[in-house]
Amino acid sequence: MSLNNVVKSLQDVMRNDAGVSGDAQRIEQMVWILFLKVYDAKEYLWELYEDNFHSIIPEELRWRNWAVDKKDGKAMTGQALLSFVNEQLFPQLKEIELDEKTPMSKAIVKTAFEDSYNYMKDGILLRQVVNIIDEIDFTEYAERHAFNEIYEQILKDLQAQRSSGEFYTPRAVTDFMVQRLQPLLGESIGDFACGTGGFLTSTLKHLEPQIKTVEDKESYNRSVHGTEKKALPYLLCVTNLLLHDIDEPDILHGNSLEKNVREYKEDDRFNIILMNPPYGGNEKDSVKINFPVELRSSETADLFMDVIMYRLKKKGRAAIILPDGFLFGTDNAKSAIKAKLLSEFNLHTVIRLPHSVFAPYTSITTNILFFENNGATKETWFYRLDMPDGYKNFSKTKPMRLEHFDPVAEWWENRQAINIDGFDKAKAFTEEELKNRGYNIDLCGFPHEEEVILEPQALIENYEIKRASLNTKIDGILSEILEKLGVAE
Amino acid sequence: MTAQDLKNSILQLAVQGKLVPQNPDDEPASVLLEKIKAEKAQLVKDGKMKQGKPLPAITEDEIPFEIPESWCWCRVVDIAFLNSGNQYDECSDGILYIKVADMNLPGNQFDICTSSRRANVKATDIIPVGSIIFPKRGGAISTNKKRFVIREPICVDSNTMAMTVINGSILPYLSNWFNSIDLGKLATGTSVPQINNKDIYPLLVPLPPLAEQQRIVKKIEELLPMIETYGKAESELTAFNNRFPDDLKKSVLQYAVQGKLVEQRPEEGTGEELYQQILSEKQRLIKAGTIRKEKPLTEIAKDEKPFDIPEGWAWAKLGSLFSIERGSSPRPIQAYFTTSEDGVNWIKIGDSEVGAKYITSTSEKITHEGSKKSRFVNIGDFIISNSMSFGRPYIMAINGYVHDGWNIIHIMKCKNGLEFNKDYLYYVLSSSLLVEQMKDKAAGGVVKNVRSDSLRELIIPLPPLSEQQRIVEKAEELLQICDRLN
Repeated sequence: MSLNNVVKSLQDVMRNDAGVSGDAQRIEQMVWILFLKVYDAKEYLWELYEDNFHSIIPEELRWRNWAVDKKDGKAMTGQALLSFVNEQLFPQLKEIELDEKTPMSKAIVKTAFEDSYNYMKDGILLRQVVNIIDEIDFTEYAERHAFNEIYEQILKDLQAQRSSGEFYTPRAVTDFMVQRLQPLLGESIGDFACGTGGFLTSTLKHLEPQIKTVEDKESYNRSVHGTEKKALPYLLCVTNLLLHDIDEPDILHGNSLEKNVREYKEDDRFNIILMNPPYGGNEKDSVKINFPVELRSSETADLFMDVIMYRLKKKGRAAIILPDGFLFGTDNAKSAIKAKLLSEFNLHTVIRLPHSVFAPYTSITTNILFFENNGATKETWFYRLDMPDGYKNFSKTKPMRLEHFDPVAEWWENRQAINIDGFDKAKAFTEEELKNRGYNIDLCGFPHEEEVILEPQALIENYEIKRASLNTKIDGILSEILEKLGVAE
Repeated sequence: MTAQDLKNSILQLAVQGKLVPQNPDDEPASVLLEKIKAEKAQLVKDGKMKQGKPLPAITEDEIPFEIPESWCWCRVVDIAFLNSGNQYDECSDGILYIKVADMNLPGNQFDICTSSRRANVKATDIIPVGSIIFPKRGGAISTNKKRFVIREPICVDSNTMAMTVINGSILPYLSNWFNSIDLGKLATGTSVPQINNKDIYPLLVPLPPLAEQQRIVKKIEELLPMIETYGKAESELTAFNNRFPDDLKKSVLQYAVQGKLVEQRPEEGTGEELYQQILSEKQRLIKAGTIRKEKPLTEIAKDEKPFDIPEGWAWAKLGSLFSIERGSSPRPIQAYFTTSEDGVNWIKIGDSEVGAKYITSTSEKITHEGSKKSRFVNIGDFIISNSMSFGRPYIMAINGYVHDGWNIIHIMKCKNGLEFNKDYLYYVLSSSLLVEQMKDKAAGGVVKNVRSDSLRELIIPLPPLSEQQRIVEKAEELLQICDRLN
């Protein structure tokens, strides 16, 4: 059955189970079962290539031995299945013993189950769920990166996700960004808020055709790294990479902001960084302390920019998606971060994306910042990608497609200034000009922005950033006045 | 804190001697004062100014604050003289003749350079260079408007007073001191405020040494542009803050009609089911003759849908849910106005208040005859203006008749407890979703118009009834909270 139906069927079955309340729990329930099924499919392949393959999962707990229903009436179900899952499967998988030598491909089983939980209380319904999932043929879906589709479907149901500022980045956007950066086999690629791994898999897609030798395959396997804070997307990311034939998914389950930036070593740095960091969060002092004073913003996305600047290798290149607030905000931290970006890195291009690219999650406008670690910025080109003809907005049924980026791609190699009806669409600004604007780099923006109605959260976030910027400006003037009065500290 | 507040505060510091440090080498102000008194005596002797009534010496009790050692207190009468203007005959040559309004002429923002009139006046009516003029009558006093006379002598009208310094070198400092005085507080007279010489001459002036005066003036001049910059930023912030509550309300309503405000509950049914119920009820009413049959509408195409809605919702055209018609007027309308008891309500645009939800009364009534040529609206129906500021919906709290500037959305009375949620409808009709659609469909050159045909084509999102109620409740809670931002 098609993937959409799978999710719907699963939800229908689970709705009848008293232990699963709400979409969030339904999804968590689905995800660990999916992982075990995918992992089992992988193990079949590994067994083929490795002579002495041993699964890290105890024999009786492997999917093939308890989950597969041979239709002979002997499949575990009802209370027996429930007891098995609650008293044997979960405890043992959580307690798997690892040491430094355990390869990632085996360690992930434990980390996957660290935060998982079986909510279902009805063994018969659980059997139905397992059967539906067993029917999915993952080999076919792997090519279509369908796992991201599953997550998208899941995110759609998870309204709560909206408050976390985490949005699934559309394939068109990740593919475009990867295309611009042209990763080469042998380079290291990092995403420190990788979600379900969209950037990583777009990169893999780009690297795959470059594999010609066995060594190439080794490079491929080691090319991508991700960090993800939340258990759910972490699990999906790991599963996603397994589906892309990365046997040792190098994904950290943790918070990228919890390490002191000054402690990063060369090993922690990457040739390429691609990210869509979470927006709007309010970080506590215990996190901010990991950053130099002047770069300490309360906003999550700002702190991620700091991390990126400390983790990009010399001559490395980055493409990061950030909201408008980062461009127009001029409070002290944002100004300092942008000043550092422009003076130590080459911010060569900023693409203004149209609204609703992230529909249906949010309608905010976002931007892609392209920069390299090869010297200070001399000038930055801004380019506004307008809504394609015939589109009033993007939506679930009419999402953004890679072709919509064609105008940017055409313009990219042969950059000209463009002005339409008195509004700049493409223009270069020197570092000096940007500095003189107080680092308000909201340039070549959309002409009738005030008319787009943002949803409440985005509106409030933008309001707070703008207000903070205005307050910072006023504070600056008042300080000068106090100084002139001779009463300043 | 406005820029003016900041400025006042700085001026206050200045006249108290706290803006710049004192320099013990400065010649004390008492010496300056003596010099000025001597100059005044000379002017009186030369007949250039009147002696005037002597004023009492300054007592301890009068002194409002401490001033530095090198300063001294004096009264305005000691250092300046006042003159008010008069009605003069205008003539094309002659000196500039300034009435209060002329202070606002472009170019006159700081000192007087131009006027719309000139006059020839006696020597005693000439306001010499080295003066400050200001309004002395009426509401203009409280504007605290003041202008320098430093280029050429002028004359002023009877509503204007001039303060001329005896010693020109103190003019810059004195004008700053004068700016710290709120003339509005000095004015007397209940019906028409007035300032007379006797209100100003006794005023206490804290006088710094001349050298310090110059330092004070310089400091203030350095601060003024910064205060102006502050003022601009503060206005920007205020305007920005004022916009926000309305923007937030719009955003909440948009969120609501997109189905994102409350969760969907499958047990409440679907919008599609509701739609079918409405359609069959409509059929029943058409058969019963209660409502007219209307032209069928086309199906909604995929790309006509403005945004994604939740699965349990449905898009529906207004025309398929309600019967919509345009109002009409008997002509000439004036012939049908009546004040008699049996007249019927005649609803004009003026009877609707911007931002109000209901039409509760009308200023005019028309006769029964006239109503035959118009269209009836019942209590509970919606009306929407169709031109100029179109798109504002109102719910009828009274019944009456409407002209062709209104479109009517008849809310039919259904059986089986099927009732439209008026509040939800009101929110949807007021939302930007509808305004955008109306803008697209509005035709016409100068005055854009939305015909009732076009109105029928507008699509709205339809959630199940119970969800409509939950949306309304949540939206109202949020809108109330937004109001607290004001």
